[in-house]
Amino acid sequence: MIDWGPVLLSLRVGLTALAFVFVTGTLAARAMTRRDFPGKDVVDGLLVLPLVLPPVVTGFLLLLLLGRNGPVGGFLEGSLGIRLLFTLHAAVIAAAVVAFPLMYQSAKAAFQGVDARLEDAARTLGAGEARVFVTVTLPLAWPGLVAGTVLSFARSLGEFGATVMVAGNIPGQTTTVPLAIFFAADAGDMRAAGTYALVISGLCMVLVVALNAWTRRRKPNWQRRARASRAADDRHSSVTRC
Amino acid sequence: MGAATVRSVIPRLSLPRIRVSLPILILLAVAAAGCRDRAAKEERPRAVLTVSAAASLREAMTELEASFEAANAGVDVRTNFGASGALRQQIEQGAPVDVFVSAAEAPMDALQKAGLIDPRTRRVAAGNELVLVVPAAGASPVRAFADLARPEVRRIALGAPASVPAGDYAEQVLRALGIAEAVRARIVYAQNVRQVLGYVESGNVDAGVVYRTDAAVSRRVRVAAAAPPGTHRPITYPVAVVARTAEPELARAYAAHLLGPAGREVLRRRGFRVE
Amino acid sequence: MLSVRARKRLPDFTLEVDFEVRDEILVLFGPSGAGKSMTLRMIAGLERPDAGEIRLSGRVLYARDPKAWVPPRGRRCGLVFQDLALFPHLDVTANVLFGAPSRDGQARGRLAEMLERFRIGHLARRFPAELSGGEAQRVALARALMADPDVLLLDEPFSSLDAETRRAVGDEVVAAHRTWRIPFVFVTHDREEAERLGDRMLFLRGGRQVAPPG
Repeated sequence: MIDWGPVLLSLRVGLTALAFVFVTGTLAARAMTRRDFPGKDVVDGLLVLPLVLPPVVTGFLLLLLLGRNGPVGGFLEGSLGIRLLFTLHAAVIAAAVVAFPLMYQSAKAAFQGVDARLEDAARTLGAGEARVFVTVTLPLAWPGLVAGTVLSFARSLGEFGATVMVAGNIPGQTTTVPLAIFFAADAGDMRAAGTYALVISGLCMVLVVALNAWTRRRKPNWQRRARASRAADDRHSSVTRC
Repeated sequence: MGAATVRSVIPRLSLPRIRVSLPILILLAVAAAGCRDRAAKEERPRAVLTVSAAASLREAMTELEASFEAANAGVDVRTNFGASGALRQQIEQGAPVDVFVSAAEAPMDALQKAGLIDPRTRRVAAGNELVLVVPAAGASPVRAFADLARPEVRRIALGAPASVPAGDYAEQVLRALGIAEAVRARIVYAQNVRQVLGYVESGNVDAGVVYRTDAAVSRRVRVAAAAPPGTHRPITYPVAVVARTAEPELARAYAAHLLGPAGREVLRRRGFRVE
Repeated sequence: MLSVRARKRLPDFTLEVDFEVRDEILVLFGPSGAGKSMTLRMIAGLERPDAGEIRLSGRVLYARDPKAWVPPRGRRCGLVFQDLALFPHLDVTANVLFGAPSRDGQARGRLAEMLERFRIGHLARRFPAELSGGEAQRVALARALMADPDVLLLDEPFSSLDAETRRAVGDEVVAAHRTWRIPFVFVTHDREEAERLGDRMLFLRGGRQVAPPG
């Protein structure tokens, strides 16, 4: 039927990018919500920039950076003999860069939604910053982080503009589904292009629908039980309550 | 209608400066629109001719466009460059093209089969040579097409064979030399020959396959080798008038211009092979 | 013993306090916005004064000269917040155990005692959202005291309760103090409550300690 290569490659690139983006996005959001420093707004703007720039512009900037004559690419090639352009790594970098702001923004919103007083309470009870983060902040911010994860994964699956500029069209290595669609259409193979388009659309649709369903149905244990026991308490007399 | 009338229409703007400048701005805008109209009337051409040409013909066709317009007052020639496959698709989808110049027979064959070109007008405009280029800066170990199989060659840029004729020819050469499968994993496919050139110029690939005429355009690449004779089908550029053209007379005249002495001289100067 | 000498510039006024608390219940009383909560936050280490010195049980928690600063987690200050700040995603047992110095068998024993003393044993597996105001209050107290603090700070903890519950829990606090003989600093703007619960009162207005209003 169709060559599943691009689909598998897209999943591989997407998941790898997601791993980076989840960690860096969460940590960056944590750092930005916790302290103020001069130039904070500028830093925030830079972190969000790939979200508002046309992807091909992001790709162009990455090309300048990672190319042989660029600051990063030149160093990597000169000292370590590593060429980033036109490799799977470049595809992952492109996907990660465009997906990062989505994770970062979601995580920021999630952390800001956690009551600071709960974190303060944890501190007065003897918890260090790491413990506060893991036992209080993270569990309460979890739904927002999950949403960010799904959004950034979907975004990296569909990434084209930046990918085509720094990774190019190399079947089996960088030809992800969006690139396969583009080049198939370019060659007049509308059937292949259409099939790939259906596959990726279906995948993204499933992800978003699943996220919505999970968010809606999943009430944290404590809220669900609160409802149940309030109903039960209503049947008790008020004397037993203080 | 004067500034006074306009001012009475907007009596309640509190800032006096707005009350004065707003009507003036409106008048200026109206005047400017009127001016544009007049200029457009002077410039409207007698006819517009749309030519779709393969990317590798860019410099030559641009010259020919200018000389044709000079010889035919009131005619505006618009040349649309791209990969022959993409251009063919545009015509299939009904784009208003009058003349098509392709970098291979296949796209023209497809259009002829579909009845989209006038077969009586089909001719061969030029030929070309396939060459291997490497970045001009630095020493490259590549001296022949067969060298592409060497381990130091990590990335090779070719046009995507399904849509770029130069890429298809390159594949033919690789297969004829028996190294196609060996280098398969190193190839990055570009959308057109200009992009292949760009990749090689930047140094991000080690070698690329383009037409000799393309290599001549760039100072940042040098020709390492020509395709050995017999390794690919002859490269020809067919030209034809599109069947659904709105300007059949002009289209035929343009094709004649391309095929005539003026056209051949330009093509020869640019490195194409002409009979 | 807790000794607090602190100055902090705030948007509306400069907060200046200077007091000591032995093992008694000191009530910080005054109108809203007088700086009472800020004082508690400075003692707990959640805010940093501009100048002064805070000592607890002989340790310096904060000083300007020479520079000294102990972060909140090292201060052993229990804090009961105005809105309690119970961890909504943890059950009562987990909440109470959160600050416990250890989790061994001995700690489990202490936990059982604590739950019984505050009469919240039957709520051990409930979540904060399922508790009534008074129950939550007692859990907050238990949680703070379980961490074995050297001082207990209570920041208007009863403001969301009805009058009857307020009295009941207020008595709990006094009873708790008789068991844990550590300084208690209690913030309120309710005169009657201040007089009923406190061994001593400190009046704060506009960031300054003032004479008791007539």
